[in-house]
Amino acid sequence: MFLRQREPLSFERSVPGKRGMDLPRLDVPVARDTRPSHLKRSGFDALPELSEVEVIRHFTRLSKWNYGVDDGMYPLGSCTMKHNPRLNEKVAGLPGFTDSHPMAPDAFVQGNLELLFTLQEWLKEITGLPGVTLQPSAGAAGELTGVMLIRAYHVSKGAKRRVILIPDSGHGTNPATAAMAGYEVVELPSRPDGTISFEDVTDPVNGKVRKGLQTLVAELGSDIAGAMITNPNTVGVFEYRFREISELLHSVDALVYMDGANMNALVGVARPGDFGVDVMHLNLHKTMSTPHGGGGPGAGPVCCGANLVPFLPVPVVARDTVKVGEGEVPRHSYRLDWNRPQSIGKVHTFYGNFGILVRALTYCLSHGSDGLKEATLRAIVNANYIRARLKGAYSLHIDSPTLHEVVFSDTHQAKHDVHTLDIAKRLIDHGFHPPTIYFPMIVPGALMIEPTESEGKDELDAFCDTMLAIAKEAEEDPDALHQAPTLAPLRRLDETTAARKPVLRWQKA
Amino acid sequence: MRYLPSSTVEDRALLDTIGVPNAEALLVGIPESARLKRELDLPTQSSEQEVAWQMMGLANRNTRFCAQFLGAGAYDHFVPSAIDALISRQEWFTAYTPYQPEISQGTLQHIFEYQTLICDLTGLEVTNASLYDGGTACVEAALMAVRVAKKRSTVLVSRGLHPMYREVLKTNFAPHDDLKLVEVGLKDGVTDLVDLQSKLNGDVAAVLVGYPNFLGAVEDLTALAGPIHAAGALLVSVTQEAFAFGWFEAPGKVGADMACGEAMSLGNKPNFGGPFLGFLAVKDAHKREIPGRVVGQTKDLDGRTGYVLTLTAREQHIRRDKATSNICSNQGLVALRANIFLQLAGPEGLRGLAEQNAAKAQYLRQRLLELPDMEAVGDPPFFNEFVLRYHGDYAALQEACLKESLLPGLELGRFYPEFAGCILWCATELHTRQMIESLVEILARVPATV
Repeated sequence: MFLRQREPLSFERSVPGKRGMDLPRLDVPVARDTRPSHLKRSGFDALPELSEVEVIRHFTRLSKWNYGVDDGMYPLGSCTMKHNPRLNEKVAGLPGFTDSHPMAPDAFVQGNLELLFTLQEWLKEITGLPGVTLQPSAGAAGELTGVMLIRAYHVSKGAKRRVILIPDSGHGTNPATAAMAGYEVVELPSRPDGTISFEDVTDPVNGKVRKGLQTLVAELGSDIAGAMITNPNTVGVFEYRFREISELLHSVDALVYMDGANMNALVGVARPGDFGVDVMHLNLHKTMSTPHGGGGPGAGPVCCGANLVPFLPVPVVARDTVKVGEGEVPRHSYRLDWNRPQSIGKVHTFYGNFGILVRALTYCLSHGSDGLKEATLRAIVNANYIRARLKGAYSLHIDSPTLHEVVFSDTHQAKHDVHTLDIAKRLIDHGFHPPTIYFPMIVPGALMIEPTESEGKDELDAFCDTMLAIAKEAEEDPDALHQAPTLAPLRRLDETTAARKPVLRWQKA
Repeated sequence: MRYLPSSTVEDRALLDTIGVPNAEALLVGIPESARLKRELDLPTQSSEQEVAWQMMGLANRNTRFCAQFLGAGAYDHFVPSAIDALISRQEWFTAYTPYQPEISQGTLQHIFEYQTLICDLTGLEVTNASLYDGGTACVEAALMAVRVAKKRSTVLVSRGLHPMYREVLKTNFAPHDDLKLVEVGLKDGVTDLVDLQSKLNGDVAAVLVGYPNFLGAVEDLTALAGPIHAAGALLVSVTQEAFAFGWFEAPGKVGADMACGEAMSLGNKPNFGGPFLGFLAVKDAHKREIPGRVVGQTKDLDGRTGYVLTLTAREQHIRRDKATSNICSNQGLVALRANIFLQLAGPEGLRGLAEQNAAKAQYLRQRLLELPDMEAVGDPPFFNEFVLRYHGDYAALQEACLKESLLPGLELGRFYPEFAGCILWCATELHTRQMIESLVEILARVPATV
């Protein structure tokens, strides 16, 4: 419960002489000072002086101004805010894991290596792809790794290709990644359901013709390194011509990257390796429930086909079978394999966000093959239940069932000058985290709702009842929505001034 | 499955409302040919107790050491109890990126404070909400320097930079035919000024230098800044051990234009190399080129102070292929650990810890040098890591140490052939005199090489 309206910056509370940490007795001689005088630390301008009590209260009070997954439904579309099991946290904190040093000899971190190897095996079976690297720290880092694998593939064939195709319904990280990997981005037009258009599309507003996949492949041909495709796409629809797209791209030896942000809709139901994907990333902080931490850390493992395995980042975790006597159960030993001459190199200082990978394997073991599939189906049922309950009150972007998320538009409410932002802010007053808003960009005033499998009927109904009440309020008292939120710790914030006159740190007056 | 709120009665109600007989009917959008026609070939679900035992079994298969004399980019420091207690609050660890500022002020104010503290440690003016780790922070710094410098395409990297950071840089520069990554050699364990000067020219955007470097030695940033700035390039300091900020002057105050590196030391355990905490701090003039999330102060409609994500026009969700980086998820919760750690430590705590680290490392070095097989390699000012040449057999030394549950320093030959036979040692406030004496005692018994 928060009882205070304001918690000052800790710097404003600092009082000389206080400290929140006592040092151990020094049992060796005091350090000789060998530093050149200009390299001696002169002082600090901001580090506060506070007792442990004050620091704990500060961060406890601040925490109460946050909304978390345990507060209620957190239906951010494409973010997969599911339950974060406490077992996973406990396991990741075991000293056997946390104290282990990344440069320790392989023989002394066999538990870690077996864990990583096991997780790799799970991800291979889930995606149907035979190669895995666990190094990328987040989805975007996975994308970059994947696109660099595509590049290494073409370079190994002596080809220099310059273009990556990306649908306009894709996440912003896709084009940003392609650019970071040195590629030019050519946008693929999508159809209203977000799927890729094979045919050219004429813009109804300006009459401009945008080239479809067929034209682009015919014209650009072997200039195309690959395409980055989110599947299911950001509208929650499976790219139902995926195999054809893949075959068309493969016909010019271009590769298919799948953005796996929405993999929560496919685990146990369909495997990317079976429908034409060459390389993809998984967001373990989405699909495998590792906590989002207010922005990270995540983990973005990359899975790939046999044609890309030689290029995987070093090191790869390998397993050797230890020779045993006849009739005995074979034992295994694990090692980091650095000897991979065609590897693109390292993409993380060490082996990735290990602590997050521990949580992901714990999630996998808890669910098992049956639980993983049940979670997928339940996530899809939940999204379609919301769709069924809200479809009269809110404008549905497309009129056929979607998978794990459902996208509405604010066109009904806009008639009363109530927009997506107002609806989102009003949800806050009712105790819900708003959905993803204004994305995907191909849907005007998008409200992208992803309930995940964690919600039961009770919470789904409470959310839907609230959404229906807001729709009614939009007709009867639109101004109440413009004022929302009124029950949150703060009202709407001035983002324009924040960007125009940035104040990005505290400074002594 | 305990995490799924399934019940036959309620599930029926959900399906009836949707108007389908079962969940599978909702998969119509997935073509038959793309569907998995079997169950995943994996073990089935397990109880909490079974999973806990299995995972504990894995944790126990790692060797536990009484003391680790190995740093090399992952440092073992004491973590105050308050940190784990605070970050275990669901409001901190389960929340998403603070897209809705009205109900994310906790995270936003924390990041604003964290940004303030990183600026304080580095002596620079602007930073972001964190990057993945030291290696990728170097990549972001180098690419940002190229954007800032405009029309310059070479980045010089000191050989003293962490070898893994150099590997990550190499990987990320490979796709850019228009960019060059050039190594600057070492002399006496620090960046060779003569080699640096010979490689500085009008095409150099930035020079990356370890501070202290991988070999533990402090680089004289002031001396390096002269020629680098004269050539119109930026000096980027790379710190892999953030405790050094309590010992050596803030890089921004001795000539660095940008400071990046690894801050896992602030409130984290080695964790087999992650999650760690990459940081990048820059000058105010360059703030619109910084990658990643940035938090700024503002007011709400009632004039109350609050915080929001800002300068978003740099980012991927707005600028797409013109963004300053593709990064969105960062290391938020690790940044929170660092923030809490720094607030507990305060200026006296950080300085005191730094003094203890320096004292322990100096004592370790002095005791090791009393052994007949150990030899000094120069005498550069260092913090908590240093290099000694070992005339014995490293494999025998390692085996003797491991037998007594001590993890020895790193043999450098794998990364620096010119330092083959040399060992990089590390000591922190965690190493008691007793541990150091045990190590020396064990090493004294290692049989001499024949």
